[in-house]
This record gives sequence, structure tokens and C-alpha cells, in this order.
Amino acid sequence: MNILSAREISKSYTDSDQRIIVLEKASLEVEQGALISITGQSGCGKSTLLHILGLLDEPDSGQVFIKGKQTSSQSPDAPAIRNQDIGFVFQFHYLIEDLCARENVALPLLIAGQKLKDALSEADRLLELLSLGQRVSHYPNQLSGGEQQRVALARALITRPAIVLADEPTGNLDPGNSLEVWNLIRKLNRELGQTFVVVTHDREQAKLADQTLELSKGQVRLL
Amino acid sequence: MWIGSQAPPEIQPQATKDQADVNSTEKFFISRYLTAPKRNLLRFSFVFMVLGIVLSVGILSAGLNLFEGYERALKSVLLDSFAHVRIERSDGKFLEAEQIQRIRKSLGPLDEISSITPSIGLNLMAIDQANTRGCIFNAYETPAGQTPHYAKYVIKGKATLRDGQIIVGHYLADEFGVTLGDTLRVLYPQLNRVTPMGIYSGEHLFEVAGIYRSGFYEFDRAMIIGTIADARSILFTDDLYAYMDIKLRGSRMEDAYNLANQYSTLLGRDLSAYPVVGSGLMRTVAMQKWLIFIVFSFLVLIAGINVISAVSTMIFDKKNEIAVLKTLGAPARTIRRVIDYQVLLVCFAAIILGQAFGALLSWMVVKQSFYRLKGDVYFIDRLEHYISLPNLLAVFAVAAVLVLICVWVPSRRVDRLQIIDLLRNP
Repeated sequence: MNILSAREISKSYTDSDQRIIVLEKASLEVEQGALISITGQSGCGKSTLLHILGLLDEPDSGQVFIKGKQTSSQSPDAPAIRNQDIGFVFQFHYLIEDLCARENVALPLLIAGQKLKDALSEADRLLELLSLGQRVSHYPNQLSGGEQQRVALARALITRPAIVLADEPTGNLDPGNSLEVWNLIRKLNRELGQTFVVVTHDREQAKLADQTLELSKGQVRLL
Repeated sequence: MWIGSQAPPEIQPQATKDQADVNSTEKFFISRYLTAPKRNLLRFSFVFMVLGIVLSVGILSAGLNLFEGYERALKSVLLDSFAHVRIERSDGKFLEAEQIQRIRKSLGPLDEISSITPSIGLNLMAIDQANTRGCIFNAYETPAGQTPHYAKYVIKGKATLRDGQIIVGHYLADEFGVTLGDTLRVLYPQLNRVTPMGIYSGEHLFEVAGIYRSGFYEFDRAMIIGTIADARSILFTDDLYAYMDIKLRGSRMEDAYNLANQYSTLLGRDLSAYPVVGSGLMRTVAMQKWLIFIVFSFLVLIAGINVISAVSTMIFDKKNEIAVLKTLGAPARTIRRVIDYQVLLVCFAAIILGQAFGALLSWMVVKQSFYRLKGDVYFIDRLEHYISLPNLLAVFAVAAVLVLICVWVPSRRVDRLQIIDLLRNP
């Protein structure tokens, strides 16, 4: 079953009266439980594609289906879909500096209307599973880069999303921490069946996924 | 199977829609701000905002406290010192026995009246080798065994007088250098001795038996209290009294103007009643107070510019967090409120701090000894401050409304921020 489908997505930008085509009828299917990486050169539109898949950006044309239902970033239920069906991990952890790890992780549940106590309890359990049990009360500036990204991963997972979209999740990490994050992603995929789409410019890391796609000249192709 | 708990969390799909009430996210952030204020509220970008609010609200509060104190002190002096309503004959002559009886009979039973005192008032001039001062000589017929109503203001000597004795205000005593036991020379027109050169003046020496301080500058400088017999002697009359002075009870004192009109109607055309208390003066002072309030409120509005600046800076600083919250599905309204609450908590604390500062400021102004109120300009010669709950609420309400507007205007920018723009330009 396809969790996410993108059909003939096109996207272009205008820069100094020059039209730059980033995506040209790019299509993609993501099955439940898949671990897919998308690679390509810098500036080829990987992040743009991911943002469109995650309903953060609007394509010029084409459709996005999430759990079989067509939707878009302008749809009234887009915030709810982003909250419940999609988890995001970015290159920069984007944790809220004034909240500790468990509070950052609990945020999506609070936005979904969960009670604070339940949300924090859930966050604690998840952080424990990601080997961050000792760091739940630490603030982002008290965590290492790898830990920050693992907390961000926990935040993406807490609402049991249908799919996690990760945009260069190891782009800011040293090789050791990068491998640790990738191992975690693979473990979550293998053991729990969590679907991932990971964008990375690093071809070696991209090979760690079950399926590697390349974005080139605005189109997605299987490597 | 789910990785977190035994039972997966129940997610309410409607929770991410815009809601009018405070939702879980907002409650969470408010509780964070309150439980960890040092981390969330003490920010450098707030320093000038807080300073601006504290200073402007402080000045507004201090101004209002001082004006309230002045108004109350003036009202207290005016209402408490002397008669509230005075009744005299419409033709200006002395009252007749029948009229006095009629006044007592008609007004005596009225609940709002605490006393009706017959009196005589006349103009004369205090004089010595160096000074001359136009004065009012007032004499009251206090019933035997009762304490004169002005007794509480006598600060030296006695309140009960024998003929030939007077009580003078402390400014008059200072001006003429007289104290208890001294004599004060007064001149007055002898209306029964008109000569081709004009009215012949009479002269009298009075013994100073008391000195009073009413607090009302004009009285303390130019009013002499004497006996009824001496007043009649100066006026060369055997008539009874010129006026009937009425003191009103409690809160009815402030209604002297309306009551005087009622008494005039009740007593008939040959008598007229008028308020002694300057109700116009009190209205002017009250109006001045609110004018000051409006003018000083503009200071808070100016301080609001700092608030706008602080909120704009905060939105810029927090754009990554705003992007994250939007990405996680938080409605724009929730994000806006989360920012608003943070600033508003600081602003409201600053307003309360400003009110405390205002109270301190007005207290210091009252206690300082560099500047004294000029009695000849302001009627009373002492600065007072009074912190009233309605004024505190008024200042808080005005400051809060201005701050709310100054927070609301820039925070609307959050609605217009696009996630993708924020993520592309971290």
C-alpha cells in the first residue's frame, strides 16, 4: 500500500527574471514500511521535493497523495496532516531552545490536543527507547549534535506518523554521529516498520537505505 | 506495535484547528513562562521595553496619585472646615427672628443636616506698622455647652472666646508676627458715619486667643474668628444674625449645590441658600486630574513603541521556532498567542512594577522638602498623595489596552510567515 505518492510534480523559481526549473513532472511512490533515500547534487531540488511531499510547499503542478488522499499545503487540513501523518527531521535540529528534550518531543502531541502529563509521559518513553533516557531534562544547548538530532527524530516519531521525511538529517553531524543516526533510522524501520524518506547529498549514506532514488534534471529515477 | 507506550496516544484530529479558547499548546507555554520565568521572560530584548513601561506607568501613576491626593486634601479642607450651605436674606439685610425660626423649623428635621449655626460675617482690615491685610471676620453662635465646629483646627490657644478675643489663621499670625496674648489692630468702615470725605473708619484692638490651621490657604491667611457681640459692635447693629450656616452630614457634603437649590425653593423667595463649598473648583480639579491622566497615557503609548520593537525582534529571533511549530501543525493563531503571552506576561509585570514605582515616586514627592505647594496658587499648601483602587485599575486598564494593541499589531506578522521561507532562510 502506498503511504505517499507524488505525481508529475513541477516546481520552478524566478530569479532575476530567469526561470529556474527545479522539478519537472517528478513522480514518486512510497510504500508503507519503506526506507527510501533521495540523493542528488546540491541545488538539484531534493529539499524542494521533500517540502512539497511534506505539505510545506506548493508545487506549480502535480498532485500529492497521503494515505491515498489527495492533498496540498494550501488544504485546510494540511496542518492536521503535518501533525498526525508526517514527521519531519531537518538538517538543523530546530529544537526549541527554551524547552528541554522531553518537552520538545512532546510538542506535536500537545499541538494535537493531548494533555501535558500524557504527552510528557509518552515523550519520556520514546526518549528512553532512543537511548536518551538520561537526557530528558536537558536543554538543546546541553546536548551533543547527535543527541540533538535524535531528540528531533523522537519528536518526528511521537505522533506515530505514517511517514517520516528527513532532510539531510546528518548534514550537520560528524561521521560517527551520522552513522549513529542512520543506524537508528534503519533500526526503527526494520523493527517497527516506520516509513522513512531521507534526503541526502551523500551517496554513500544514501546507499544505507533499502531503495535509493536520484533527483536529476528535475526528475526522480531509481539508482 | 508502537514504540512508545503500550497503548498508542489518542490524537484528536480537531485539535490543530484554530480554536477560540486556550488550547493545550498555549497552556503549556504559559505554564513554562510562569514556572521558569528566568529562562523565558528575562531577555535582553525586553530590557528597554520593560524600562519604558515601568517609567511611563510610574509617571502616570505618580501624577494620578498626587492629583488624587490634592483633590482629596482640597475636598477635605473645603468640606470639613466650614459651612457647606449658607442662608441669607435675598435683600442682603440681617435675618429677622421669624426667618430664623422658619429656617430652623423647615430644615432642622432634615436628616442630611448635622448643624445649623447662626453667624455674622464682615470685611475688615488687619493692620500694623508694616503690614495690611484685607480679612473676613466671622462670628458663630455656638449653643452653650457645645464645642465650636472650628475647634479642631485650633493649634494654639483656645476655641471658646470672650468678647474682645479673636482666633487668627497661622499665616496671618506669622505675617503680623502675633502670638497668643498679643493684640491685633483692625480697621473697618463705620457705615453709620459717612462724611463728605467718605466713610469714616473704625478701629478695634483684639487679643489673639487662638491660632488655627485649617489647611485652606485663603482662610488661614485672611479669616478671623470672633464673637457675635464683637461683630455686632463693629457693624453698629443690634440685629440678630446675617447668615445661617448649615453643615451637612457625610457624603451629602458633596451634594451642597443641589441641596442649596432645594433649600431656596423650600424656604421661599425672601431667603436664598447657596453652597459655600466651591463645587466648581472641585470639578476643575477633577477635570485636571483626568487631563493629566490622558496626557500621561501618551507616555505609555510612546513606551508601546518599545513593545512593538521587542515583539518584532522576538519574531525575527524565533523564526526557526515559528517554522518548527508550523511544521508540526500548530495553527498560526496558536503560535501568535504563544508569542503574545510571553510578551504580555512581561508587560503586565512591568505595568505592576510601574505602579509600585509610581507609588514610591509620589511618596517621595510628598516627603521631599525642596518644593512646597504655593498656597496662594493651589489653595492648600501641602502635597498629598493617595493611592486609590479605581485609579490603580484605571492605570492598569489603560496601560494593558495600549500594550495589548502594541503586541497585537506586530504579532500578526506570524500569520503571514510562510514555513518554506523560514526553512529556506534559517
